Amino acid sequence: MASGPIAWLARRSRLKSAWHWVRDRFQLREIWQHVLDRRVAKGSWYFGDGATLFLLFIVLVVTGAAMTLSYSSASDEAYDSVRQITYGQPLGWFVRGLHYWSAGLMVVMLFFHLFRQILLGGYKSPREGSWLFGVFLFFGVMIMSLLGYILRWDERGIYALRVALNIFYRVPWIGEELVLLVQGGPEIGSETLSRIYAVHVIIGPLLLTSLIAYHLYLVVRHSITSPTERERPVETASEQRAVYERDALSKERGEIFYPDTVAKSGLMGAIFLALGIGLTFALGGGRLYPEANLAEPSYPMEEWWWSWFSALAALLPPWLASYFYVGFPLLLFVVLILLPFIDRGPHRGMRNRPIAVVLVSACVIALLGLSSLRIRSAWTAWPQPTPPPVPEGMVLPPEAEQGRQLFARYGCNSCHAIDGHGPGVGPDLADLRETLSYAEMRSYILQPPPGVAMPPYEDRLSEEELDRLVDFVMVVQTARQQ
Amino acid sequence: MERRTVLGILVQLGSAAVALVVGIPALITALSPASARRRGPAWRSLGPIEQFPVGEVRSAVIGRPAAEHTAEGRSGAERAAEGRATAGRATAERATAKGASGAAVAQSVYVWRRSAEEVVVFSRSCTDLGCPVTWDPGSHCFLCPCHGGIFAKDGERMAGPPDRPLYRYANRVRDGRLEIDLSSVPPMV
Repeated sequence: MASGPIAWLARRSRLKSAWHWVRDRFQLREIWQHVLDRRVAKGSWYFGDGATLFLLFIVLVVTGAAMTLSYSSASDEAYDSVRQITYGQPLGWFVRGLHYWSAGLMVVMLFFHLFRQILLGGYKSPREGSWLFGVFLFFGVMIMSLLGYILRWDERGIYALRVALNIFYRVPWIGEELVLLVQGGPEIGSETLSRIYAVHVIIGPLLLTSLIAYHLYLVVRHSITSPTERERPVETASEQRAVYERDALSKERGEIFYPDTVAKSGLMGAIFLALGIGLTFALGGGRLYPEANLAEPSYPMEEWWWSWFSALAALLPPWLASYFYVGFPLLLFVVLILLPFIDRGPHRGMRNRPIAVVLVSACVIALLGLSSLRIRSAWTAWPQPTPPPVPEGMVLPPEAEQGRQLFARYGCNSCHAIDGHGPGVGPDLADLRETLSYAEMRSYILQPPPGVAMPPYEDRLSEEELDRLVDFVMVVQTARQQ
Repeated sequence: MERRTVLGILVQLGSAAVALVVGIPALITALSPASARRRGPAWRSLGPIEQFPVGEVRSAVIGRPAAEHTAEGRSGAERAAEGRATAGRATAERATAKGASGAAVAQSVYVWRRSAEEVVVFSRSCTDLGCPVTWDPGSHCFLCPCHGGIFAKDGERMAGPPDRPLYRYANRVRDGRLEIDLSSVPPMV
C-alpha cells in the first residue's frame, strides 16, 4: 500500500472500513494499479516538461474560470470589465497576472516539449498517436495564446485580431468568407468579440481538455522514451516494447511512477509555477493598453511569445511574405503530422540523429534571434518629435543648426539616424558608406534614385532650406571622418 | 449475416445519424456569418468637405450610419430628420473618438484632397497585416509601426513587406459632406 497522508489516514482503524468502501465504490484500485503503482523507465530531469504543461493548463483553467465570472464580452463593456477585474477586485490583478504569465510560459514550454520530442525521436513507433495529439495540442495552444489577449479588448488585442484577419484574407478562394466567419459580420465589432470569447472560454478549453486527456492516455499506454531506446537502434513497435519493459523493470533504469516520477516532474512544474507567480509580482498583472479602437494613432506590438513571427514577417521579401502567412502554418502542420512517417530510422535520442540536433538548434537560435531583432525593430520608420542630438563634442555653425531643425521638420529623422541616434531604416547620415558631394546630396534629396525608399522633396523644399539641410549632414559627416 | 453483425451496423449507422442530425445544423448556423457579405454600398460620412484643405492629408473618424437604427415603416421625413441629427452629432463626436462610428469600434481613415474635385480616402490598415499606418507630416509618408511598411503620399508601397498599395475607399460628396463606401474595401479593413 502507498505512503503519504491519504494512506496514513486510511490505515487508522476507524477509517479503515470507510476507506475500503470508497476504494471499492470508486474503483480506485484500478487507477492505482494501472497508472500510479506501475514501473516506468527513468527519464532525464527535463522530462517534467509535459507535467509542467499540464500544471500550467490547470492554472490557466482555474484563473480563467475565475475571470469569466466578471468578464463581459460586449464590445463596449469588455475593456472596463478587465479594468474592474485588474484594479477593482481583491487579488484580481494576481489572478489575471498569473493567467497572463502562465500563458506565456506555457508557449515557451510548448516549444521546449516539441523540440525535446524531435530531439529524442519521441514520435517513433509505437508513439505516433501520442505525437499526433501533441501536434493538435501545439496548434490549439498557440491559437489560444492569441485569442486570450484579444479578449482584453485593448489596442494590442484588436490589432492582434486584425493581423489574424489579414492572414485569413490571404487564404486563396475563401479568404473573404473566412474573415466574415471570424468577424461574425462585415466589420470588427460586438459579434467578433462574442465569437472570440466563445472559442477562448468554451470551445477551446473543451477541445484542449479532451485532446490532453487522450494524449495522456496514450502517454500512459506507450510511456516515455526509455534510456536504452536512446542508446541503440530499435526497429519495430514490439522491439520497443521489449526494450522498454526491461528498462522499467531494471533497478538502475526503472522506477515507480508514483511517487518517484510524479515527484520529479512535479518539481519542474512547481518551479515554473513559482516563476509565473514571481513574474506576476515583479512585472505586474499583464499591462492594459488604451481601449480597443481603430481611430487613434497607435504603435501596437504583439505579446512577447509571438515576437519571432513578427520579425519574420518584417524580414521576408515581399513576394514571399504573401505566401508565407498562409503557407507557413499549413506547411508546419502537415510536416509535423507526417514527421513520424518521414523520419523512419531506427535511432532515437540525439547521439545518432545529427539532422534532428542541427534542425532543433537552428530553430532555437532562429526563435531567439528573431525575437531580439523584433525588440529593436530596426525596420520601423516612425515620426520623431525632436531633432537628433548634436554629436558629442561638436559645435554646429548656425547654418547647420538650422539644418538640424529642418531635419526634424521634414521627417528626415523618421528614417535616418545621426551618429547612432534615431531609427535605422535609412543609413546613418553621420556614417555614410559612400560620401556624396554637396551637389550630389542636393539632387539626391530632391529626387532620390529609383528603387530607393525615400520620398522626393522636389516640390517641398526651398533652395535655402535644402542648403541648410545639406550643411547639417555635411558638417556631422566631415567631423565624423576626422 | 449474423445477428451481431447486423446489429453492429445498425448501431454505427444510428450513431452517425445522431451525429449528423445535431452536428450539421450546429455547423451551418456557426458558419452562417461567412456569407453575411454587405449587399450594396454602405455610405458613411466623414464630415463637411471644407474640413479637408486641398493638397493636404487629414485624418477623419468614420461617422455613424445615418439610417441603421431607423425602424421599417417610418416616414421618409422622419428618417431624413434622424439622418440629419446623426450627421450633426458626428462633428461633435470627432473629438471623442470612442463611440463615434456608432459601430462597436471607432475607426479613422486618411483623407487626401488631391485637388478641389478629387478626393482620395485611404484605409489606415496596412496592406501587409493590418497594423495602423500613421501619416508622417514631415516626410509625407504613411508609416506602419509593425513590420516596416512605408507608403508614399499617393498610397503606393515604398518599403517593407506590403505587396500592394493602401486600400482606397470609394467616395462621394453629398450635401457638402464627404462620404465613403465601407463595402468598397475588404471586410477586415
